[in-house]
Amino acid sequence: MQALIFLLPFLFIYVLFTIWPMIKGVEMSFYKWTLIRKIEYVGLQNYANMLQDSAFWSSVWHSFLFVVLTTPTMIVLAIILALVANRKSRLQKFYRSVFFLPSVLSVAVASYLGLFIFQPYTGLLNSLLHLIGLLPGNEEIFWLSETSLAWIAITLLTLWWTVGFNFILYLSAMQDIPEDIYEAARLDGASDSQIFWQITLPMLGGITRTITMLQIIASFKVFVQIYIMTGGGPLDSTRPVIQYIWQIGFRQNDLGYAAALSYMLFAILLVLSAFQYWLNNRKGE
Amino acid sequence: MKKRLGFMLTLVLAFSMLLSACSGGGSSNSEGGSADSGKITLSYWTLFTGGDGENMDALIAEFNKTHPNIEIKNTKLEWAEYYTKLITAVGNGNGPDIGISHTSRLPDLIEQGVVTELDSVADAAGIEWSTYNQNLLNATVVDGKHYAIPIDTHPFIMYYNKKLLQDAGLLGEDGKPVLEQSAEGFVTFLSTLKEKLPANITPFAFESKDHDPFRLWWSLYTQLGGNDIISDDLSKVQLDEAKATQAAQYMQDLYSNGFIKKNDPDFYKTFQSGAGAIMMTGVWATGTWESTNGLEFGAMPIPKIFDQEAAWGDSHTIILPVTKDEDAAKREAAITFADWIADNGQIWAKAGHIPSKPSAIEKQEFKDMDYRSDYVSVADTVKFSKPSTKNWQIRDLAVMKYLNEVWAGKMQPADAVANMQPEIQKVLDQ
Repeated sequence: MQALIFLLPFLFIYVLFTIWPMIKGVEMSFYKWTLIRKIEYVGLQNYANMLQDSAFWSSVWHSFLFVVLTTPTMIVLAIILALVANRKSRLQKFYRSVFFLPSVLSVAVASYLGLFIFQPYTGLLNSLLHLIGLLPGNEEIFWLSETSLAWIAITLLTLWWTVGFNFILYLSAMQDIPEDIYEAARLDGASDSQIFWQITLPMLGGITRTITMLQIIASFKVFVQIYIMTGGGPLDSTRPVIQYIWQIGFRQNDLGYAAALSYMLFAILLVLSAFQYWLNNRKGE
Repeated sequence: MKKRLGFMLTLVLAFSMLLSACSGGGSSNSEGGSADSGKITLSYWTLFTGGDGENMDALIAEFNKTHPNIEIKNTKLEWAEYYTKLITAVGNGNGPDIGISHTSRLPDLIEQGVVTELDSVADAAGIEWSTYNQNLLNATVVDGKHYAIPIDTHPFIMYYNKKLLQDAGLLGEDGKPVLEQSAEGFVTFLSTLKEKLPANITPFAFESKDHDPFRLWWSLYTQLGGNDIISDDLSKVQLDEAKATQAAQYMQDLYSNGFIKKNDPDFYKTFQSGAGAIMMTGVWATGTWESTNGLEFGAMPIPKIFDQEAAWGDSHTIILPVTKDEDAAKREAAITFADWIADNGQIWAKAGHIPSKPSAIEKQEFKDMDYRSDYVSVADTVKFSKPSTKNWQIRDLAVMKYLNEVWAGKMQPADAVANMQPEIQKVLDQ
């Protein structure tokens, strides 16, 4: 009971700004509702429209594609970086800070850096390609205007920006692996690659499952870096679901429909998390 | 446990009442203050930044000085979020006394019940509607009622670099481009620039997607006689396919013939740094070019490429949003302010805009400024969009999206025009 008093301030804020809007959102999704006011009750119409709305489902697919592109690459890259930084070397501290540094940038700053890197004529990447002669001087690669190149640019930027956090998690997990296991392996004559595949990687299983789950949910919520770098284009081919919901709500002034879409996204994430939870528990047994 | 819940609910209620009491107290305080001193204080929300913001500040300061009974307080909001904030604030009853709206956005604000009609208060304050440019004014009249005071128009015009045109032998004795006003004439002009100028100079500094190409397309479409893309009753898409395609085809050729640098990340900079011979955008760029050292430029209406003179344009207007009390004295003061701003359009014109009152254009102060008089005639040929509540959505969600594909050379103009129509209809049906 005493605990309740300490919890109360946070609980109050939490209820007011998270729980209450969630309940209000359910109500909203059954109405035609503009930024100004409730217009009329429409029952399940918003949800029915959603099933027909190809723009919504293609934006869900784009978010899903982003998850597929970033999650595995993120994990592999984080492990590689952690291995590099975990090796005994004079540059150890340098590696640690350099790998982690991009994570301290805000998403807007990172995305604008992304624009400077990938834009044609004056961008860092194209200038570099010109310099080393991989790209003829009179040609340009339009990273942000071609769908497949745009996905590559967005993925690279996101990896660079967020890999640091996962890297730290892996690094600390690696340092938790007892030294005597390695010692025993070396005495038995195990090679470096055997040690990695048979000891390090299996010992990282737990943290990998945690990172995968966090990463999938975080990637599904992608919005700002895509919005700044491509605006969802060309022809809406990189528009993620959050951007679509935002457009419906605040550009098309249809909060009711936007609320319905949000609950669909919520349901998708819930199913994903439940599936993953089930998968993890099964493996744990 | 139930008791605790009850206690918590009471707390929540008490707290929320406290909050509402606070906000109520705040507003009644300021109203009380204004009544006591006999001075009317008006809140004014604007979306102007940069040069526009400074000119508006100067105007407000001047107005406050010359009108001791009225005080205008300016709140500058971010352009991109301005309308969302205005609409929600007015919906909550916390909106300003005076606001800004683009003419093209006005119908949406009317439908949402954000703006009030002005006829009675204009009569009371003695506003003479006949002193305004009628082309600009008519675009703000919906169903026979006035809803806004236009303070300017900012049409789409052409700028040219005098030095580069001179090098290419295309600058006349009068300092104006040697350019035949026709479809072929403009292409010949650009080919000559491309031929005569060094390879690192772009003949036509221009954007490869979104707004400015849309504005040029709209201008060409209306030059061909196109009358907006929706029907007069605003419910159906009504696009003249042949004209829309012809305009898009003409522009696609400009891109594919290499007159425009493909995907230029910053075409303003290209022109500003002297690496572009001509450029087109809204008149708001005039102030920027003027303050650029070493840039010798000129301004003119966009060429008459097709049958008639026409250009994309929009206006900034002053609106009186819906407020809780609808105080008649405040409204009269607000509209007096709006009319005064329009009267002093020569100050507002410093950023490049064309004043909405012919009398402001006649002032010596306006005539003394360079460039503006070269394009002031465009005010009469601006083609506004019809008063649809969906103007911005149609442009952002259906039209620009497909036109961008045309400029990139990935879609045939006819296909793009065919594809955008069902999307426009979808926006209209929502």
